Amino acid sequence: MAEFLQYTVTGVTVGMVYALIGLSFALIWKSSGVANLALGGLVLIFSWFTYGMTVQIGLPYWLGLPLVIIFALAVGWLIERFALRPLIAQPILSLITVTLGIFYFLEGLTVFIWPWMVDALPPPFPPEPLHIGTAVVTQAYVWAAIVSLVLFGLLTLYFKYHKMGIAMRATADDQFAVQACGIPVTRIFSTSWMFACVVAAIAGVLISWIGGLSMGLVETGLKSFSVVILGGLDSFIGCIVAGPIIGLAENVGGGYLTPLTWAGLKGVIPYIIIIIVLFLKPYGLFGEVRIERI
Amino acid sequence: MGLPCGTHNYTYAQDMAIMRTKTHWTLLIALFILLFTLPLYSGGYWLSVANLIGITVIAAIGLNILTGYCGQLSIGHAGFIAVGAFTSAVLTNVFELPFLVGLISAGFMAGFVGLLFGIPSLKVKGFYLAIATIAAQFIILWVINHMKITGGFNGIAVPYASIGGLVFDSEASMFYLIMVIVVMCTFFAKNLARTRIGRAFVAIRDNDLAAEVMGITLFYYKLLAFFIGCFLAGIAGSLMAHWIGFMNAEQFSLMESILYIGIIIIGGLGTTLGPILGVIFIRLLQQGMMFVAPTIEGIFPALPAGFATGIAPMLFGLIIILFLILEPRGLAHRWMLFKAAYRLWPFSY
Repeated sequence: MAEFLQYTVTGVTVGMVYALIGLSFALIWKSSGVANLALGGLVLIFSWFTYGMTVQIGLPYWLGLPLVIIFALAVGWLIERFALRPLIAQPILSLITVTLGIFYFLEGLTVFIWPWMVDALPPPFPPEPLHIGTAVVTQAYVWAAIVSLVLFGLLTLYFKYHKMGIAMRATADDQFAVQACGIPVTRIFSTSWMFACVVAAIAGVLISWIGGLSMGLVETGLKSFSVVILGGLDSFIGCIVAGPIIGLAENVGGGYLTPLTWAGLKGVIPYIIIIIVLFLKPYGLFGEVRIERI
Repeated sequence: MGLPCGTHNYTYAQDMAIMRTKTHWTLLIALFILLFTLPLYSGGYWLSVANLIGITVIAAIGLNILTGYCGQLSIGHAGFIAVGAFTSAVLTNVFELPFLVGLISAGFMAGFVGLLFGIPSLKVKGFYLAIATIAAQFIILWVINHMKITGGFNGIAVPYASIGGLVFDSEASMFYLIMVIVVMCTFFAKNLARTRIGRAFVAIRDNDLAAEVMGITLFYYKLLAFFIGCFLAGIAGSLMAHWIGFMNAEQFSLMESILYIGIIIIGGLGTTLGPILGVIFIRLLQQGMMFVAPTIEGIFPALPAGFATGIAPMLFGLIIILFLILEPRGLAHRWMLFKAAYRLWPFSY
């Protein structure tokens, strides 16, 4: 029973970070209909950039983190401006594969600058673990959950009340109508990419505080696709619900089923969930079912 | 289209011919002679590069049928190649069956695994299918890494390919085996595209709803595309296993899968020539980088230590992006333009 509580706590908190990465995906998908498969690469490079700022250069976190966010904004703008904008109105195959190209590039860039590929990112809070009932977790887990929830709250409010947020929702709904209303669609696209990169950067820092820096961050980014598939591609609520579910399934399932099957099951569970969801309910829990016309 | 001036088709047979004129035949035979005498005047190193190119071409042709013709994006192609490689490895090493049995079963095994993961394609497309195939890649590699029979993380040794008493134990003999299969696959792909099946694939790619309304059974054709694409991946995997002689799952990473997508985009989606040009381009670039990177590192010692390993993926990523933006129809389209210009030269039209 003690281990169950342990699995649950870690599962839910890690799941919140997955939800955050999923949110980063949903931001872009909702506003511009581009499937961002480069998420793994983005999470990877932002985490390593944080490492470069705080550990290698030695900046304190209050200075380093804003720099990471500025870097994320710049990367988001660059990607949208130079890779995605020339491809507006191209078939979905091109839009997906261009993000794969970006993925390849970012991973190469990370290896280029940080070739040793494994390191720890010391978190800014004390290392004493917290006791929740019988479960013991480091403070990084708790912080990850709190930051994710706060960020979710902020983004929800932004989309509900801010002018730009409303414009982004409108763009997701109908690009032509939005353009007719005089909203600059290209600016909406680049804003959504910049937002998504910042969210991915924050998620990357949180997950690196928990698990350290490695190439595994790419997998963390890829696993988060199970969040968007389970939650439904265009739903923020879907992300926040599906994230902890995936985290729980991964930790509880991995914890209890690994002795029955093979080691490393934990890492594969999200992918198995993807396949099951696509078989049973392809548009996810909260996703909009697309009705197509010829 | 594309025929020299003064060539007119009077019969259907002429119209359908792939090789229409005497020049076509001459060039084709010259190409074959050049190809099959390559081991006589090429060193072992370049022969191994040619073998790698040949194996990659087979897999790329498979992916091109699946993605280029039928429009079903698969980002798990390296996973399906791995299925073929390990099927063949296990059959020939553990069960000591002949190579040909291993080769054919590798194709069928990869094909059936492809069918399994292709089933979601009936309900979803585009991004959803891309994710399903990424998931397939990870699940396949996990299973291979943990099964006892495949040797797990330690990998598995694979005996030389042999047919009857003929053992393919050198680069040159392997070259002939691979090239014969490459030629067969290219011929198959070229003709598949002109049959009922190929045209159904293209219809599905362009608009699957419209295709269904016209009476094309999506269930059958989409799964057939998955089967053919993964069958060829399995054949390529089997050849790779027998060529390298040792398999472990590390060789089939997700990055390799993305590389295959990049290859058919650079070459040109939905063309016969595309995968071949794309593979030659990418593999020669890789070889070039292996020569050039250490030299550059020697000239500029200030470069970071990851230069040699990091520069190649960066370059590939950049090339994929640039091709998508500047020449989405790939090298095959450039080749067509060149041929058209050459045919009319020196006149402009």
